[in-house]
Amino acid sequence: MSRTTPSTELPMSPGQPAASAPAPSPAGEANPIREAISEAIAEHKVILFMKGTPEAPACGFSARTVAALQELDTPFAAVDILPDPRIRQELSAISNWPTIPQLFVNGELLGGCDIVIEMFESGELAEALV
Amino acid sequence: MPSAEDISQRIEASIPGATADVEDYTGTGDHFRATVTAAAFAGRSRIEQHRLVYEIFGAEIGGPIHALSLKTQVPQDVPGAGAAMPQPTTTQ
Repeated sequence: MSRTTPSTELPMSPGQPAASAPAPSPAGEANPIREAISEAIAEHKVILFMKGTPEAPACGFSARTVAALQELDTPFAAVDILPDPRIRQELSAISNWPTIPQLFVNGELLGGCDIVIEMFESGELAEALV
Repeated sequence: MPSAEDISQRIEASIPGATADVEDYTGTGDHFRATVTAAAFAGRSRIEQHRLVYEIFGAEIGGPIHALSLKTQVPQDVPGAGAAMPQPTTTQ
């Protein structure tokens, strides 16, 4: 799909061991990952946090959500949450949503795979993406 | 490892009047699909309805419960049943 915008890279230090997720920073301390996620959500009209990439989804739920967006020919930014466990941790803290994928439209959580697919089938997704 | 029956009972115990139809769709005790019907969902968006269910399981979602696919609905005889989710607000 040519209209998929390139995947968004969250700026975070390279080489972080994937297995050691530190505890979330106490309130008031700078939290670069959380800030980067919030900025990405604010900067993209449609942004999908997923496992893997649109070209190579690493989970069936992410794959189905990508397929719905591509079916509607919607340009969207995508963030792979797998490279660093802190991305998922901070994302879920921001969104109050425990699972992946998560689709944000105009800065608001629209839903995970189940809701996106339900809305796709009912036509509501196309309306929400206008 | 929870069974589909465990998941169903916990949902029904936590949301008053709810009925939960839960299926272990991989047969491995970690991927579940649930249809939850509850009057408590009336007037809430789908996001809020799903959160009510996810909150029951907390950190188990993504842990022992790898996936809990949800379909939530309001019983037909409850006022507000069939009401569409409020239109998402669009910022200009």
